[in-house]
Amino acid sequence: MSADLNIILPEILLSLFAMGALLGAVYTGKDKLALPILWATAGLFVAMAFWIGVSGDTDRMAFGGMFTDDAFSRFAKVTILLSAAAVLLLGQDYMTRNDMLKFEYPVLVTLAVVGMMTMVSAGDLMVLYMGLELQSLALYVVASMRRDNLRSTEAGLKYFVLGALSSGLLLYGASLTYGYAGTTNFAGIIAAAEGDISLGLLFGLVFMASGLAFKVSAAPFHMWTPDVYEGSPTPVTAFFATAPKVAAMGLFARVVHDAFGGVVADWQQIIALLAVASMFLGAIAAIGQTDIKRLMAYSSIAHMGFALMGLAAGTAAGVQGMLIYMAIYVTMNIGTFAFILSMRRDGRDVTDIAALNMLSKSHPTHALALLVLLFSLAGIPPMLGFFGKLYVLQAAVDAGLFWLAVLGVVASVIGAFYYLRLVYFMYFGTEGEPLDQAMPAIQWVAMVGCAAIMVLGIVNLFGIEGLAAAAAETLVR
Amino acid sequence: MADTGPQVPRLFGGPSGWISVAVPLVLFIWFLQFIPAIAAGETLRWSIEWVPSLDVAISFWLDGLSLTFALLITGIGALVTLYSAQYLGTQPQYPRFILFLMAFMIGMLGLVLADNLLALFVFWEVTTISSYLLIGYLADEAKSRRSALQALLVTGTGGLAFLAGIVLIGFAAGSFELSEIRDVELRDHPWIVAISILFLAGAFTKSAQFPFHFWLPNAMAAPTPVSAYLHSATMVKAGIYLMARMNPTLGGTDLWFWSLTIAGGFTAVFASILAMRQSDIKQVLAYTTLMALGTLTLFIGAGTSAAIKGAMLFLIVHSLYKAALFLMIGIVDHRTGSREAEVLSGLSRKMPLTALAAVLAALSMAGIPPLIGFIGKEFLYKAALSMPTAQLWITGTAFAASALMFAVGGIVALRPFFGKLGDTPKAPREGPIAMLVGPLILAGLGLALGVNSDWAETLVRPATAAVYGSPVAVDLYLYKEVNAALILSLVTFATGIVLYLGHRRLRARLASIESWNPIHFDRGWDRFLDGFAAFAKWQAQKLQHGVLRRYIFVIFAFLGVTAAYAMWLRDAWQVQFDFTGVAFRDWAVLIFITAGAFVTATANSRMTAVAALGVVGIGVALIFIMFGAPDVAITQLLVETLVVVLVALAMLKLPYLNPKKIAEIRGWDALVAILVGTTSAIVLLASMAEPLDRRLTDYFELTSWPEAYGRNVVNVILVDFRALDTFGEIAVVMIAALGAFVLLRGTPKGEEK
Repeated sequence: MSADLNIILPEILLSLFAMGALLGAVYTGKDKLALPILWATAGLFVAMAFWIGVSGDTDRMAFGGMFTDDAFSRFAKVTILLSAAAVLLLGQDYMTRNDMLKFEYPVLVTLAVVGMMTMVSAGDLMVLYMGLELQSLALYVVASMRRDNLRSTEAGLKYFVLGALSSGLLLYGASLTYGYAGTTNFAGIIAAAEGDISLGLLFGLVFMASGLAFKVSAAPFHMWTPDVYEGSPTPVTAFFATAPKVAAMGLFARVVHDAFGGVVADWQQIIALLAVASMFLGAIAAIGQTDIKRLMAYSSIAHMGFALMGLAAGTAAGVQGMLIYMAIYVTMNIGTFAFILSMRRDGRDVTDIAALNMLSKSHPTHALALLVLLFSLAGIPPMLGFFGKLYVLQAAVDAGLFWLAVLGVVASVIGAFYYLRLVYFMYFGTEGEPLDQAMPAIQWVAMVGCAAIMVLGIVNLFGIEGLAAAAAETLVR
Repeated sequence: MADTGPQVPRLFGGPSGWISVAVPLVLFIWFLQFIPAIAAGETLRWSIEWVPSLDVAISFWLDGLSLTFALLITGIGALVTLYSAQYLGTQPQYPRFILFLMAFMIGMLGLVLADNLLALFVFWEVTTISSYLLIGYLADEAKSRRSALQALLVTGTGGLAFLAGIVLIGFAAGSFELSEIRDVELRDHPWIVAISILFLAGAFTKSAQFPFHFWLPNAMAAPTPVSAYLHSATMVKAGIYLMARMNPTLGGTDLWFWSLTIAGGFTAVFASILAMRQSDIKQVLAYTTLMALGTLTLFIGAGTSAAIKGAMLFLIVHSLYKAALFLMIGIVDHRTGSREAEVLSGLSRKMPLTALAAVLAALSMAGIPPLIGFIGKEFLYKAALSMPTAQLWITGTAFAASALMFAVGGIVALRPFFGKLGDTPKAPREGPIAMLVGPLILAGLGLALGVNSDWAETLVRPATAAVYGSPVAVDLYLYKEVNAALILSLVTFATGIVLYLGHRRLRARLASIESWNPIHFDRGWDRFLDGFAAFAKWQAQKLQHGVLRRYIFVIFAFLGVTAAYAMWLRDAWQVQFDFTGVAFRDWAVLIFITAGAFVTATANSRMTAVAALGVVGIGVALIFIMFGAPDVAITQLLVETLVVVLVALAMLKLPYLNPKKIAEIRGWDALVAILVGTTSAIVLLASMAEPLDRRLTDYFELTSWPEAYGRNVVNVILVDFRALDTFGEIAVVMIAALGAFVLLRGTPKGEEK
């Protein structure tokens, strides 16, 4: 038992911290404590990430296989924790400015992160659902944090209704799976799901995949994404775009490989279909957008399509590509959102694309960093984003999914347009009222740092390639 | 833009001036040293690992083709930068201009030297972007901004298609290295069509082949040195380079042959005719550049060793004379203030050196011996006449284009410089020496190479070998014997003279034709952009309308279709209905539930719908009773009642339904409902047919009495086997209830805030 608890110690510590902070703040300074709590949370995330990153290279199971601690979960957890910490710090200035920095915000984010960590470690349908709901419930609340704002409340409500629906689908699938596999444990399911699986199990798989597709915002379960991204406060949007996506992708990979790894052919088509739909929808629908947050929503849909392509390959190389892709994706998004968070004109926040007009003149450094990030998002060599795409495409080709790779290439070409359109506005647009000068140091560092990574990372990807390969090895056997 | 009056130019435009001249000059000399090795058939290669895990390396190679290009880029580059230092050196934006020009030069050099296709693409984009910046150099003019954007969009789109092609060919050949790809036989690969089309999309847009030709004449809004360098001698030839480079790999298919010969031939003739139409000499030169690009495409597509030989020679020939002519018209513009063929006349007396350069270059363009242009044309004719297929088309288009070129040569070199001195905006005088060096050297080279044709051989031979894929004997000469090609040349001259004499009437005729021609590519492009924007707006509204119920509709529709498809794959549609043993009360409950569902679906008020849904719930509870589970039935009844009451309460706050709107959407809803309903029913039935895993059921049935002294398995599970869970559940419900109580109680009115 104590060995089991030892394995989930990071999650326990984070939960205790969340509860302690919640209670402590209620009885003492309330919102005055929000800023210290936020910093403490971010610090704790980084410390945890470091701890998980260096601790052990062994695969361990806790609670009879319900909770897994392996290279895959560690890779995902470090990514989740670091991105969550980065996003918390990035948004702090914005939240303070708009008088939204409630002490519940970092606490809710912590709870969501605990949920995410549970998701990527899940070895059992129960744990899967528990982690997923912990994450989702916390996210529903932060989405509607601006209670006096109609858009924010609408976003939260929509997210909740659709999220509940998808949870229902997932649960229905989980019950079918349980009914036909006779167990909720992944190790048991994989033993039952071999060869020609029963119809019940197949439908369990289909429904669970649908529920998970909602969480990664893959088309056609993506519809909440643009509305929620636009309606939520920008720091929350930045959060939505990063850590939860990694967690949901990690969970997706866990379910299809740990539980249904024996029947790759049965889910490959479904995931490939989701990937194609997401890539194309994300690429085409973004063209007409005028709000940069909505645009980022479609961008994330398209990126999830590419990550799913890696998953659809059904091989270790595919999972490795997916993990690398997600790590690159998160970095690009942190950099881009650091800029979006700083977009202000006459002291008011703006998210209109037109605000980028002639940014190169008023803020040359910002424009250059953003240019690198956008090129990377578009997947244009030599930026890192291109190599992320190349990894998943390569995995798809190696797995024999030629048609998927070809469609992916086409979609990325279409998708490049709207990023380049932004670049065009920045450098050659019409002269307009420039954005405000000030940009908090944290945002500046994040943006320039991420941009630098996009350029320098091509040398050796900072070594994450080997880690991702090791992580993929533990998942795909 | 031109400076007027006396001026004291900084030496070569200051430090940025002389550096910009020195860099290409040094590079040019550096590349010269490779000529002997390359001419001997060697290929040089450098490589640095880039992303080793993906086998991506930054690697460069130097063979005949890349060396020819490298020499043209650096050699003409040095002359053009020298020219620009004089031409633009006094302007405040000059350092920026030089920065862009150097960026372009490095990009272009990288493009022709890159062995790795991904690196090649990066350089390709560098040239696109720097070209954009240089065309838009006069950013204050709306026309130049529009032209710049047009060029960027056309070539940029082509570039993205090219990238897609690169990724595909990389996967198909298993390598991104050009030197390795050419050893892989790809012509039978299933992707060859897609790869060819994508590569050609990149090459055609970059090299302005019909129907993507319209951006190039507009790009002439750039300062003259840019036009001479980018849009004539080098950048637009990047597409030609790509086609030549890929010829050993992609060439030889019908698709390749016909698309290149048809597009190339058509572009060549079409552009030559349009060149006759222009009166602005710079525009004339722009269209003749199109003609040259078309000719090059035509002969690379033709693909025989003779055709490739001719194309490579013509490539060098054209770069020399066209750059000279562009630079020449820049001097004329600089010194007279006009580029109009109708205005300029008799300048040779005032500008003798300019006239000399113009005449030499024009003679080469017209293909008159002993200039290298003549040899170029002869070899093209020879290749065309020896074609096994499409001989008539290739010969015909080459002939038409050459004859028109002859006439154009007259327009650009005879008219402005001879005859009576015309009335120009500024009094003409000879150009400054820094500007004259370039055109004189380039035009002089045309003569020197013509006389000493062996010099050109050293480059053409390895270049032809690189493009053809195997060594080809190259022997260039001015005259050997009277043959068909020579006779054709004489006919060309005769036709050309006739065309030149009648060129003013021809121009007027072409102008009148143009006025009723309904097809305008330039305007069509604008319309295409508008349409694209409208489409984007339309689909954004259709796909992302913000209506929650439609989102849910899509989710269910997708799920229904997927499930139906999965069942179809498994062939699980056949469901055996067995109605034996269905009692009357079963039928009654069934009808009860169905009626409830039907009323729910057709009701026009929310209240009716909720109430009817309650009926369905009660029916389900009845089923539980009939199958001997009264406890479950009670739970169901309670929950059902609670839900109806709660929903009804919430609905009091909602606006009334609009019957008209409901009628519109109900049909679709019914469709999805039937789809999802049917599939889930069949899933259920099919699942029932599968053997259920009875391990747990058996276990509880066997152990409930001996271990827990209870016969109701469900109860035993709840209170005995999983007692702790139940306890936890109760605790959770309690806490939730407490929370709800606090929320519902709210804050007393006075205490708010």
